[in-house]
Amino acid sequence: MTAALLVLAYVSGLNPPRTRLGMPETSRQRAAALPLGGGSLLALGAVAGLAWVSGPLLETLEITPETFRIAAGFTLALCGFYVLTRPRPPKEPVPGGWWPALWPVAFPRLLGPEFLALSVTTGSQEGVGATVVAAAVSLALLGLLGSLPRRDMTDRVLLHLGRMVAVALLAVAVWLLIEGIRDV
Amino acid sequence: MVSEGVAREVVVSAVPPPLQADAASDTTAQRKRPRLLCMITIVGRTRPTGKVRRLQGAAPGAVSAPSSNLPPMLRRVVLRLSLLVLGVGALRLAVVPAEVCPAVTVEQVRTAVDEAVAWIERGMASDGRYTYGYSRDDDVVNPGYNGARHAGVTMSLYQVALRHDPDVLDIADRGLGYMLDRLVAGDGWRAWQSSAPEVQLGDNGLFLAALALRREVTGDTRYDGLMRDVGRFVLALQQPDGRMYGAWHAGEGREIAFYGTYATGEAAWALTLLDEAFPGEGWGRAALRTLDYMATDRLRVEGGLAPIPDHWAAYTLESLSAELHHEGTIDYARRLAGYFGIRLRFESQRQGTGINLWLRWYPGPPAGVGTAGEGLGALWRLSRAEPELADLGANMEERLVCTAGTMVSRQATAEEAQAYGRPDLVQGAWFYREYSQLDDEQHVISALLAALEILEKETP
Repeated sequence: MTAALLVLAYVSGLNPPRTRLGMPETSRQRAAALPLGGGSLLALGAVAGLAWVSGPLLETLEITPETFRIAAGFTLALCGFYVLTRPRPPKEPVPGGWWPALWPVAFPRLLGPEFLALSVTTGSQEGVGATVVAAAVSLALLGLLGSLPRRDMTDRVLLHLGRMVAVALLAVAVWLLIEGIRDV
Repeated sequence: MVSEGVAREVVVSAVPPPLQADAASDTTAQRKRPRLLCMITIVGRTRPTGKVRRLQGAAPGAVSAPSSNLPPMLRRVVLRLSLLVLGVGALRLAVVPAEVCPAVTVEQVRTAVDEAVAWIERGMASDGRYTYGYSRDDDVVNPGYNGARHAGVTMSLYQVALRHDPDVLDIADRGLGYMLDRLVAGDGWRAWQSSAPEVQLGDNGLFLAALALRREVTGDTRYDGLMRDVGRFVLALQQPDGRMYGAWHAGEGREIAFYGTYATGEAAWALTLLDEAFPGEGWGRAALRTLDYMATDRLRVEGGLAPIPDHWAAYTLESLSAELHHEGTIDYARRLAGYFGIRLRFESQRQGTGINLWLRWYPGPPAGVGTAGEGLGALWRLSRAEPELADLGANMEERLVCTAGTMVSRQATAEEAQAYGRPDLVQGAWFYREYSQLDDEQHVISALLAALEILEKETP
């Protein structure tokens, strides 16, 4: 997997435009910094942790990393289709204080099935460092989108962008499926 | 009584305060809401949803009982986590069941090969013909026969003699004798004919491979002339673009324009072995022509839905002299390694019981597993000499050892054999749904020999 494809995989897995639509906001319609920052750190930690244990985890489950690529491809494909049919994230109640960083930002907004599956498959194949960097890039993109007020970029733009990223996610899914099958 | 049109709906939300609506659900989320342990939102004239319980016949302001004792947010968390766990479970069951690789030792693999060879020998007739197949549940021997399979088994016996036990040479020579007794001659060539009127390409590709391996084991050159003659028969069926016609019509003295599924690869491999035995005579170039055809044009010319995972092509790649390899052959080797790899990974997921049986079906036909194993074995040996394939070596070793463990565990034991009418045709064989055929043993033996080499390398 090239570096560009790795980053594309994480960006499409996170889908920043769609995720941005589901972020708790301030009164100025920017993403609330604390939940977003805290959630991103939690998500990055989870990605790093999963990537770190991916080898022993797959060994314990008796799954070869090559075969897990197929599973990751399936997961991404399902998520891609889901996003295409439901481009707006479902509504979730938001608690007060620090809790939004954990719920609903870190989970389920950031740590969706596609992000988790990617962490394991790239962690076992590409290494922890590359995985964390790619995930960080996608989270940084989300942070960038979060800092922009939504009145300047309507929901419609975000929805369309989200759909386009979902198509990219499907392409990554197909790539993972083919690689998983072609790998020895 | 409150009429439906003016009913007031009451939402009970036991979310701990302070609570704000998700921005996605409500852009006015930042409006302050009462900080109550049990927040009550009164919504007028709102369409009822699953989350909102309409009170009819209740006094205004009455609070509905929540549908469960869990607060709504906790319900969402539980729901989300449950979906995740269910998804992981479904993925585990349907897409990535455990790839089970029974532990296996060098001795166990050696014993398995010995047992399979003994099965072949026990079923051998005095003229060198093998028992073709046996159905153990109804105790019936298959009376049919196939020339390519006869030649293939003989070839694999020479592989055993070369890589494991030289004593097997006698059995292999008896099998060879069956073919030597059926030689026919044409214009500058000789070949063995398993059944009139056709002389099959595949039969003779593997016949030639058997002769070449025998020469390698024994150093005996008595069949050198015959090897060249059979090589010329193969060339008589080769076309300028490398494709191979499947047979020669002995009566009419012409080629028969059809393609044998595996015959082309068998013939190409035989030509590379001929090149190894007699370098500089041009056999290698002829083999390369067919190898290039298999790598590029075969699917288009011969048709089919997908490229054939051709283990004979893998053997051809292994035996092709280093100076003839090029980018296309290396790429072909990688593709073949991928086919064999997924086949063997899939096989290791098959347990043949419970829900796994429905999702993965029965453990695959031994011949199918064996061909993938021997093909990967050939590519593994190639990877040791070809630096551009070296990165595949570790994975190939892992798959081959795993396959060896799987097939050793699936081999019929002496104890198991006693339950059937012909224990001599059960012990040492591999059965697919109660039936074993000559090529099951042939291909698994060849795969086990590749794994044996790896295990011997790893065992101090």
